[in-house]
Amino acid sequence: MNISPTEAEEALAAIQKMTRRTRHTISSSGAYIFLIYTGMIWLAGFLANQFLPGSQAVYVWAVVSLLGSVLSISAGLRVSKHVKGPLTGMYGRRIGLFWVLLALFCIGVIAVAQPIDGKQITLIVILFVLVGQTAMSLVFSFSYGWWTLPIGALALVGYFLMPAYFYLWMAVLVGGSMILLGLIIRWKL
Amino acid sequence: MTELNEIIHQSVRLRIMAALTALDPDNEVDFTALRDLLEVTDGNLGAHLHKLEEAGYITVNKTFVERKPRTFVSATSAGRLAFQAHVAALEEILKS
Repeated sequence: MNISPTEAEEALAAIQKMTRRTRHTISSSGAYIFLIYTGMIWLAGFLANQFLPGSQAVYVWAVVSLLGSVLSISAGLRVSKHVKGPLTGMYGRRIGLFWVLLALFCIGVIAVAQPIDGKQITLIVILFVLVGQTAMSLVFSFSYGWWTLPIGALALVGYFLMPAYFYLWMAVLVGGSMILLGLIIRWKL
Repeated sequence: MTELNEIIHQSVRLRIMAALTALDPDNEVDFTALRDLLEVTDGNLGAHLHKLEEAGYITVNKTFVERKPRTFVSATSAGRLAFQAHVAALEEILKS
């Protein structure tokens, strides 16, 4: 069987396009979806922290967290509906257990450290979330595991250098960066 | 020099193998998801899957999920190797 270099190039381009499309739509490398959802939740939640009284901000956080959880679960179910493997169910259970344990450890750290204000609690929770996201990224999509470092650095810069605007910083720069990174990863896939 | 694989080179089958090998080994994809991904008809996809299955490059697993018949497709180890060899052959043509 003989084909011209042009035909070979077209075939390779078709393969590349199909591989990207598969990974984008049905493979497990849909980390960008969760990045965008988390960014949107943080954007809305931290804007509420900055501009609304504490009691109202709690309601905003409750609503956006619930919405984010529903969206994340539906995205996960959409993937698992189309792709099944011997380890899919086991991974799902272990991921769930990992996040529950991480949340418990986070509560333990907060109880021991006794943070003096909401900003400290916020940053501790965020650092734990970033540790969890780093673990998930390293296990499931190594090439996209880097994003937690700039996000973590941005959060720390906001906490130490811009305490008066910490929540606004977290909303716009950190939440916005997560949405932007998610869109970049989606575009690159 | 690596030979081109005539079974895989057909455009729909080439894209089927590209899609299946993009998944983790041992993972299976739903027939309807694959059909939507490739933008082909049920009959067309079925015919090409049959050809690949005959060659031992894929496995077709018919099962029931929530009492509904579902078909899952996956690339075999032989299929993955054949596809890799085909890609290598295409790359060699470009380099020569």
